Amino acid sequence: MGAEGTRVVRAGLALAVGLVLADSSIVVLALPEIYRELDVSVSAVTWVLVAFNLVLALAAVPAAVATARVGAARLTLVGLTVFAGASLVCGFAGDIGLLIAARCVQAVGGAMAVCAALELLPAVSGSERGAARAWAAAGAAGAALGPGAGGLLTELISWQSIFLVQVPAALVAGFPLVAAARREIPARERPRAGRPHLAANAALGLVSAALAAALFLIVLLLIEGWRLSPIEAAAAVTAMPLFALAAAPLTRRVEDVAARAAAGVILIGGGLAALGLLPDARVLLTLPPQALVGAGLALTLSALTEAALEGRSPQAIHGGWTIAARHAGVVAGLLVLTPVFTADLEVERDQAERAGVAALLDSRLPPSTLFALSTRIAERIEAEGERVPIIGSAFEPLPEDPEERAEAIRLRERIEDEVDAAATHAFSASFLISAAFALAALLPIALARRREVQL
Amino acid sequence: MSSPRFLIVGAVVASVALVAAYLAAGGSSYEPSPTADPCEQREWRSPDGIEESAQQFALSALDGAACELGVSREELAVALVSEESRAEFAAEQGVADGELEEAVRAGLVRAIDDAEDAGALSGFVAGGARAIAERVPVDEAIDLIQGAESLFGGAKGVVGDVLDRAGELLP
Repeated sequence: MGAEGTRVVRAGLALAVGLVLADSSIVVLALPEIYRELDVSVSAVTWVLVAFNLVLALAAVPAAVATARVGAARLTLVGLTVFAGASLVCGFAGDIGLLIAARCVQAVGGAMAVCAALELLPAVSGSERGAARAWAAAGAAGAALGPGAGGLLTELISWQSIFLVQVPAALVAGFPLVAAARREIPARERPRAGRPHLAANAALGLVSAALAAALFLIVLLLIEGWRLSPIEAAAAVTAMPLFALAAAPLTRRVEDVAARAAAGVILIGGGLAALGLLPDARVLLTLPPQALVGAGLALTLSALTEAALEGRSPQAIHGGWTIAARHAGVVAGLLVLTPVFTADLEVERDQAERAGVAALLDSRLPPSTLFALSTRIAERIEAEGERVPIIGSAFEPLPEDPEERAEAIRLRERIEDEVDAAATHAFSASFLISAAFALAALLPIALARRREVQL
Repeated sequence: MSSPRFLIVGAVVASVALVAAYLAAGGSSYEPSPTADPCEQREWRSPDGIEESAQQFALSALDGAACELGVSREELAVALVSEESRAEFAAEQGVADGELEEAVRAGLVRAIDDAEDAGALSGFVAGGARAIAERVPVDEAIDLIQGAESLFGGAKGVVGDVLDRAGELLP
């Protein structure tokens, strides 16, 4: 294979890994659209994320074991084809059951492609360490850029387009491997692999739980709590991967993998704790915490993945363990935090409703206007079901009388502030729990260090 | 300091500084706006204007009914928006139809008392209105609260709707 061919294969593999791992988070910004359109609850729509990550976690190691038997290039191709086919079904799914089932198939194809790609990367990257870095970087970039890309597609086209654009992307990623797959001779024996790096994988699981929760919660806070459009929310959460990119040079300057991992989880924990303590409902205030989480993500994911793969063979199987650990962490994070924030959201919604009505009753609007307003507000609350209501539209049309109009505008602002504050507070406990997940990763990192295991 | 230590210390400093800044800016101090006790007497503000009086009347009535039922006036206000919301409230709170009607009438009587005390209703109008309030069906009682401007418009003029209704309802 010439240099040009090597570059094309490397780009295809990076695209495959980025594409599959982006899928664990790409639908985050589309979830509110999906649950509105398919008319399901927040808890039910969470399974669009959970199912993909759960199946990816379960299928990663078996897919990695199959790599040697089937052939890495062939398995990558088969995986990308399955992934593309399932993406097509996701794009046309008309109910939540079919969507979740197709997401499970997508994850099986994704597990094959990602694990087999790691076996192919050393040949085109020059070294196992270089391959591990490239593989981890492609995965981190996909996971971090996923929500922004998903938000853009949802706003500009539809949530279905998120899945439909993945079909040609997966086929393009697989095309350079066709020739290699034809030449490939699969191994006859089952590969023997040593024990996975328990500490690094445990830390990866905990950090992934925190990061998944961070992305999921920020998006829900922005769209559901503060009622931003998907495109505005996408712009806001893109701050995280941008800060990750800015912090990437640090990963090359510090060779000590354990120090990078520890510093990263401290930054992620600090950023998430700050998100749990937002003093006001302003997007600007989410940027400093996102900066910490983004920088932490860049430092930690690459360090822990490198540690888990360093000197271990075959790479595909140990890569499979890291994928299993990461996505099991994502599932744990979502399953622990979804009931916490949905319950908090309900409590805060009721309190905001009472506070809003109190503001309404204390206003100086005449009773007839007040009762008409409260009727419209009650209708809005009823129409929104378990979601945070959009109150502003209940004030339309504003009263004709200038004094009443001014009072109605003041009242609308007061009620919206009350709802924003309550929605922000509803996410606090969940952010603080996800900060605890991140900081808990310090334990396996420190244990490995104490036992003088090279992290 | 070596670069690995510098990296960890830097991460700790940045994290602690941000969390401390957000705490200092009130990040942990959120409390929903309190709702007032409906059983406590509220002072009528500027009871001279018709609209102001009507509003105070409606609020006093809500306070009185909420106090009677042991709920906040905000909960009751939401409950009185429609027949469905009223039925939902009655089911949630375990309030029978008769209890709700009694509470709304008690609220009306308290509002009339408050209006009379504040000088917004004359003794004559208040007496007639009290007699209506004690007998009026619950739907009309709610209408009376919502349309209290007409009550005070009448009070400033020649009693108006109140006496019309009194004529219909008084034995």
